[in-house]
Amino acid sequence: MAELTTNHFLFLSAALFVIGLMGVLVRRNLLIMFMCVELMMNSVNLSLIAFARETNTMFGEGFALFTIAVAAAEAAVGLAIILALSRRSHSVDADEFHALRD
Amino acid sequence: MSWNVIFFYALAAISLLAAVGIVIAKNPVHSAIFLVLTLFNTAGIFVMLGAEFLAAAQVIVYAGAALVLMLFLLMLVDPQALPQRGGGHPIQRIVGPLLGVILFLEVGAAIANRAIVGGLGNASPENIALVGGSTQAVGNLLFTQYLLPFEIISLVLLVGVAGAIVLALPERLGERLGTISLGHPRGTDMALPEGPSTAAPRTRADERATAALEATREIILVDDPDLYTGGRGDTRQSTVKITRN
Amino acid sequence: MEQPIWLTFIVAFIFMNVLLVGMAYMTWYERKVLAAMQDRVGPNRVGWKGLLQPLADGVKLLGKEDLIPANADKIVFFFAPLIVFVVAITRVAVIPFGSISINIFGQSINLWITDLNVGALFLLAFGSLGVYGIILGGYASANRYSLLGGLRSAAQVISYEIILGLSLVGIFLISSSLSIRTIMEDQMRELTFAIGPLTFTLPNWYILSQPMAFVIFFLAAVAETNRAPFDLPEAETELVSGFHTEYSAFRFSFYFLGEYINMIVVSLFAATMFLGGIDGPGADRFWGIGILWLLLKVILFLFFYIWLRGTLPRFRFDQLMGIAWKVLLPLVLVNILITALIRLIGQGQLSF
Repeated sequence: MAELTTNHFLFLSAALFVIGLMGVLVRRNLLIMFMCVELMMNSVNLSLIAFARETNTMFGEGFALFTIAVAAAEAAVGLAIILALSRRSHSVDADEFHALRD
Repeated sequence: MSWNVIFFYALAAISLLAAVGIVIAKNPVHSAIFLVLTLFNTAGIFVMLGAEFLAAAQVIVYAGAALVLMLFLLMLVDPQALPQRGGGHPIQRIVGPLLGVILFLEVGAAIANRAIVGGLGNASPENIALVGGSTQAVGNLLFTQYLLPFEIISLVLLVGVAGAIVLALPERLGERLGTISLGHPRGTDMALPEGPSTAAPRTRADERATAALEATREIILVDDPDLYTGGRGDTRQSTVKITRN
Repeated sequence: MEQPIWLTFIVAFIFMNVLLVGMAYMTWYERKVLAAMQDRVGPNRVGWKGLLQPLADGVKLLGKEDLIPANADKIVFFFAPLIVFVVAITRVAVIPFGSISINIFGQSINLWITDLNVGALFLLAFGSLGVYGIILGGYASANRYSLLGGLRSAAQVISYEIILGLSLVGIFLISSSLSIRTIMEDQMRELTFAIGPLTFTLPNWYILSQPMAFVIFFLAAVAETNRAPFDLPEAETELVSGFHTEYSAFRFSFYFLGEYINMIVVSLFAATMFLGGIDGPGADRFWGIGILWLLLKVILFLFFYIWLRGTLPRFRFDQLMGIAWKVLLPLVLVNILITALIRLIGQGQLSF
């Protein structure tokens, strides 16, 4: 406990990931589900950089940078989809969108 | 207990509390604020791991732009559209956390029993400081070994921007009146998101007054604001007048 | 050169207090200069030439009634102005007021608080965080005009932030570093160039190497601090004063003073990146002269800010956004391209 090892960072990353996962499973508001997915991506970035520091390579940081860029593009497109959905059916409740299933 | 350990525990505690706050907040705007807190604290942990460029990039791109976009969307969504609390399947609220805890235990066991495969690379902190810092090291990597993914990412972002605009366009011009348009005079009549309540009770006097006004009000749609200069005698082709009866 | 951390805290405390006093007197300076441009006198009752006016303003603002709208979201209403204020002050931590360590009472003290190797990105990152104070302030006011004003202002700030960051990329290309102290020291070297038989020696200030980037940086800075002529979201005649309509007394002063601190910090940033910071005749002999030169350059930039406010009418919102995305963004990308090409040619790495 008195010395920081990589395992500390990995446990934190796992905890953030699991909290995000629980958020996606429990909440029904599409926008909050989206925010929890962003949280999960952020926790993966954390573990990538922890591994990069541990193995003395730079690939983890490069990968994390690409993840941030892709997450930004995904935020734009995903939020546009949510906006279009909410206009069509006047709801952002995830339970309302089951047309493809039925 | 060195300062490093204290900082790590402080940042980790705030990150975890804010993450829990995202999941359980009633108001979506509060969730967004908690997400900003989480991202900011995680950026602090990145700095502890020696990735200061990535920490700054995360705050500028993620917390400073993508989340602002999310806040914009939250403000523009119709308040009747938000899901009711307590609806849906109550079994979700039991199975979800249970699965989460099981996953955390599994991943925790994997972390505790792991071993490094392969040797160490050569980007030790001394070598990184020799090159000039984490920014230069990441830049060296991006522009030599990962140049193709770098160019593809620029295409991904371009497609993302174009796709977002196409998806968010209204289908008919009339539908544009259904959103809060930041420049449109009628846009200010739309209902606002939940939280601070925006409706004072309307009295009969209010309704009589607005009904008289609304009956004769004209709505003018133009594509270039500089062309329309007002006045009743304006008969330019580019204006479309919709009169309410 | 590891100096003890309590010394860094003392230096930071001194810098912060200097910044706060500077912000208070910035209000006096603005009122006097605007008055001079508008052919009147400005504050001259309180103290000699009105120099105690900021004190009187502060006492008045503290004494006003603090109104909170009944339907406001109280926690967010409380925190939104604080975000703007705190984020603005934190930005001064990476600005160097000198490039050497001085010796006082036997202790060697650095003339800067920190020298982060991503100092310029730190300034830009905290500028991005300041947007939240605006959006959340507009949201928490339970007022549709405040919400619209907040959204408009946020859209303006994030658009001009991109241009602010990109206009500095040319400087990063030339000096190969993101650390503000390194960039300032690079400008203290000499730039010799020859026209025919005559050779000129000038300081290597980046305003000479990057003139277009300087102009674009200044325009983007004016837009990002919501100052005239880009102040549509918060002007009193538009949207009933925009996102800070419902804030009164001390909360309003947080927004108002946060804007002034942002102006001062951005002026410090521009003076350090483009005009060489402490560089000037006599700066190498005594460190105090360097600080005076920096102060002079900052006052010059603040005068430009006030000059723009006093002379130009404000832009309409779509004109504002059109300037950012259709004019300034292509120009700043062209600037990066030209800088990179010239650097490669100069290093002999480009052959035709």
